[in-house]
Amino acid sequence: MARHAALETFGRSGNPVFGDKFNQSQGFVGSERMTLDGTVNKTGILLGLCFFGAIISWNIPNPFLMVGGALVGFCLAIYTSFVPRNAGITAPIYAFVKGLFLGGISLVLEMQFPGIAIQAIGLTFGTLASLLFFYKSGLIKPTENFRLMIFSATFGIMILYLVSFVMSFFGSGIGFIHSNGIFGIGFSLFVVCIAALNLVLDFDFIEQGAENSLPKYMEWYGAFSLMVTLIWLYLEILRLLAKLRSR
Amino acid sequence: MNSIIFGLLAAISLFIFFNLGKVKASAKQINRDDRINWGTPPWRKKNPSSKRDSSSGRIIEGEAEEINKD
Repeated sequence: MARHAALETFGRSGNPVFGDKFNQSQGFVGSERMTLDGTVNKTGILLGLCFFGAIISWNIPNPFLMVGGALVGFCLAIYTSFVPRNAGITAPIYAFVKGLFLGGISLVLEMQFPGIAIQAIGLTFGTLASLLFFYKSGLIKPTENFRLMIFSATFGIMILYLVSFVMSFFGSGIGFIHSNGIFGIGFSLFVVCIAALNLVLDFDFIEQGAENSLPKYMEWYGAFSLMVTLIWLYLEILRLLAKLRSR
Repeated sequence: MNSIIFGLLAAISLFIFFNLGKVKASAKQINRDDRINWGTPPWRKKNPSSKRDSSSGRIIEGEAEEINKD
């Protein structure tokens, strides 16, 4: 009996931070709650800003825009992850500066392999739409173990990239992850799969956030987390296609 | 030709996202006991159901009785 009363008060989560948010949400009026509609619309705004940044960088190629976009985007991503309340300000800036980076890197690869950018864009959005369908229909069911597995794999890839980045300063590196051999392509395929499965976690987070009526700013946070995954997926698909085309 | 196909794929996928994204997930997806608890990080609570089961095992069913010291 007591357990049910606690569930009614705090929702499914036992986290006191989330518990507070659930309590606050009970006093909100309709427009102040996180909704699926709002999150999808905000994702649209972020996608638009990202495209706008990419168009600028594509038409005015400048290494400062590209590198600056990557660095500022990285800092904003870290900040937004820890301070979701300000996501309404930081997420649009993040999307725009990341667009500057993506436009530049896409142009560099487009000059080497014509048509690669549109292929990567098509495959990224194709993956997004198909995984959204699989999630909504219940064909993919994210569980705690699924989250733990994807989280561990993502963390492992991050560590591998970090080690490779540090080793590059000493004229060395982890060769196979950048090679266009069978191991390099296999590694890229694995990373693309992990990035794509991260989308399922984002969908579940947004769905549950809307169900639990989280505060309105969490719409921006949900859209931001979807953008981070989409940008990562696009970059990995771009890298995979470049490896395949360079063989 | 290649660009047209992938451009169309991107456009159709975005159309699907903006329409399907606003629809609530199926009951099969929502009404599950093993849904992710986003309130806790993945490394903190590995198997919440087993924890709940073990604690519920300690609850003794029945009516409470007042104990008199007399």
